Amino acid sequence: MEARVRTPGRMSMSGDDLAGRRGVETDVYDPAEDSRLLADVACEAVSESDLVADVGTGSGYVAATVTAETSARVLGTDLNPHACRRARDAGVEAVRANLVAPFRADAFDVVLFNPPYLPADAAAARDDWMEVALTGGETGREVVEAFLDDVGRVLSPDGYVLLLVSTLTGVDEVVDYAGERGFSTVALADESFPFETLSVLKLVR
Amino acid sequence: MKRDLMDIVCCPLDKHDLDLDVESEEDGEVVSGTLTCADCGETYPIEDGIPNLLPPDMREETPA
Repeated sequence: MEARVRTPGRMSMSGDDLAGRRGVETDVYDPAEDSRLLADVACEAVSESDLVADVGTGSGYVAATVTAETSARVLGTDLNPHACRRARDAGVEAVRANLVAPFRADAFDVVLFNPPYLPADAAAARDDWMEVALTGGETGREVVEAFLDDVGRVLSPDGYVLLLVSTLTGVDEVVDYAGERGFSTVALADESFPFETLSVLKLVR
Repeated sequence: MKRDLMDIVCCPLDKHDLDLDVESEEDGEVVSGTLTCADCGETYPIEDGIPNLLPPDMREETPA
């Protein structure tokens, strides 16, 4: 199965100023339709007074866009040191982190996550940072599940998560898993592509 | 990193407070330094303005 949105190296932001910052093309996931969908929803939802985390910020596109549109403080975190540097170059307050591990309890009003969600394909295994950015283990849900295991800890009492999911990942399975972790879910936006439908889920407790 | 990030971050291993040791600072931001867990003593480097709060076994520059 081909994943149109997540084809590595795909140029989807031509004309955008972020495109000019490309240069480490195999090291950092470039913003694509998934990034744009999450950024659009987040810009509508986030308030200026919110403290926001953009987990797996990659190029920093979502964090930078939300900061520009809402004036909220948005931290960008990534496992990938190249992504952290690129996000910082884009003006994002970057922290190298594994998901939300180094953040205090109740720290954030909003946590954004566009996760690695493709099921791993052994034939396509690359063993590089791009694979880390794209694949979520055999099911496509391993990173999302690890995130859901811990994100409740760092959310303020009224805090919520905006999570991008794909039909390639299994939306019902993600919703069920989130439910087991105490979250109720509502879909805020959907966008269909030839091989997948992307959704942004809002998770609240 | 901004100094007030200290109110948001904690040790990724045991979630205790971190102590900040600044080596260099520019435009009100910490460019290099060290974060040290007040409880377990693990240290986390700040390089080029970016705190590296990965556990020691995850810090390699290459994946896996």
